[in-house]
Amino acid sequence: MKAHFLGSLAALLAAPLLASEPVMFCERPLVAQPVAENTWMVEGLTEELSTSNCGHIGNQAFIATPNGVILIDSGSSPHFGEALKTLIAQHTSQPVRWVLTTHHHPDHFFGNAAFDKAQHLTLATTRDLMARDTDALIDNVERLTGRSLERSSVALPEVIEAGDITLGSYPLTLYAMSGHSGGDLVIMDHATGVLFLGDMGFYQRAAATAHTPGLQQWLEELHDLRILNATIAVPGHGPSAPPATIIDQTIDYLEWLDQRLSDVASEGLGANHALAGELPDTFSTIALAEYEFTRSVMQLYPRYEARLLWGAPH
Amino acid sequence: MVLLTQTFIPPRLAATLAALACLLISVFPPASHAATLNTAEKDPLNSFMWPVYRERFLGDASVVFDERVIVNAPRFAEDSGQVPIELDASALEASGEPITDIIAWVDLNPIPRLFTYSPMSHGLAKLSLNIRLEQASAVRVAVKQGDTWHVGGTYIEAEGGGCTTPGIATADTDWENTFGELQGRLFDNEDEQRLRLRLSHPMDSGLIPSQPAFYVQSFEMLDHQGQQVATLDIEASVSANPTLGLHMRPSPGGYVIGARDNNGNRFSMGLQP
Repeated sequence: MKAHFLGSLAALLAAPLLASEPVMFCERPLVAQPVAENTWMVEGLTEELSTSNCGHIGNQAFIATPNGVILIDSGSSPHFGEALKTLIAQHTSQPVRWVLTTHHHPDHFFGNAAFDKAQHLTLATTRDLMARDTDALIDNVERLTGRSLERSSVALPEVIEAGDITLGSYPLTLYAMSGHSGGDLVIMDHATGVLFLGDMGFYQRAAATAHTPGLQQWLEELHDLRILNATIAVPGHGPSAPPATIIDQTIDYLEWLDQRLSDVASEGLGANHALAGELPDTFSTIALAEYEFTRSVMQLYPRYEARLLWGAPH
Repeated sequence: MVLLTQTFIPPRLAATLAALACLLISVFPPASHAATLNTAEKDPLNSFMWPVYRERFLGDASVVFDERVIVNAPRFAEDSGQVPIELDASALEASGEPITDIIAWVDLNPIPRLFTYSPMSHGLAKLSLNIRLEQASAVRVAVKQGDTWHVGGTYIEAEGGGCTTPGIATADTDWENTFGELQGRLFDNEDEQRLRLRLSHPMDSGLIPSQPAFYVQSFEMLDHQGQQVATLDIEASVSANPTLGLHMRPSPGGYVIGARDNNGNRFSMGLQP
């Protein structure tokens, strides 16, 4: 009887805090969607940073392991990170012990400060980019969301190498890529078949290209990711879906963008010619397609001219 | 053409004249109905700087807002140091007398004027280049045909997106290595030769403390016999490393492009079809 009582007490302690109260962020409930066994994603809105979404535009994911929670990306503010921590606690009693940052964009790691007891890990390339751009990115997020961030709280993670790693006793395979931002961590969980794409994959939300080393690079890496043996993928933005569905949509859009920029630049026309005309119907269901396309033309057009007109190396 | 031109007539008198003109027009419809459809007297961009720059740049010549002066630009600036704009007044040019002068400016830039273009004998009324935008603003182009300035424009928001890092990812810190490099291509079409040019130059405005003004002031286009056939004067509101798209009447021997900055440096190159 006593043993039984202790057993149920232990079960009670180990069990997640099954609070019926939803976790609210920015006046909306924050939801953890199950992706696989012990694996959840929190889907951001497919919008640009704004005052109405308080910066919740990117996806986060977490894996509850026997030795603690592995969190993949932490959102765009310490305030969001706190809400995320509460949400995670509703699904597992384990604390967050590891935070993996997929890349250096503000909607993916500005929540890191809320997990100050965890070990923070990222690729060396990403760490360098974080060191370079964080101040400018904080300015942007503050301007666009109208919320102030604590500058001092954004610490740089430790560096982790690509390859097979073990966090506690939990194995993951890491891939070091660069197509989206110059430093992009892609994570494969062979135990559950989940592929965490970070912003290498955008789904139903147009790809952002501000820091791409080149669309060709990004496309090559996407073709490498396509042959991995995963059953479901979590993109950096947009819903989860079979890996090929997400990767192919990102490939189709980037290939079209690359072709459009090449065609117009090689004719000696200006960037506004690349912007003229409608986007193909194929991309009409993709959120922010026109907005991101406009940004991409301004970001990338001079590079296409340099390569196609002035003979600069690829 | 009271309805088509903005003048310095006092408002009450103008209203009376306008009413009178309406009466007259209802009796005698204007010869060119198309012109009344795409022109207007009131600033379509509703900018408070319009009267100031109208007076400064256009003087007391007659002015009309004209949809045939098309200014293409993105709705917003991703990098406010490099905003691509494009002028196309070819419909206006095709409609009548030659175009003699083109002036462009940004209403809310500290250096408002962008360029003054004299198409002379060979330039067509089309031009593209990248500009700097201090803040969201109206961008204007005034095209002089006969005695009248035809004005077009657009409005550009000046905020980039969330992961934009202006000046960090793209800052050219070693500009001295490529300084003065002039690159160009000529694209030969049936009715025009399109020139695309890029000059490596910092275009320092002189507005940043302890950084003297150092910018390209003028381009000139010569035919193969060395005859000047079009000129373009620019200000430091044009982006670093000016990239120009010019549209010229076909010249069998191609063109020679010359440029000069405010320190007296000269740059030139020849472009053959």
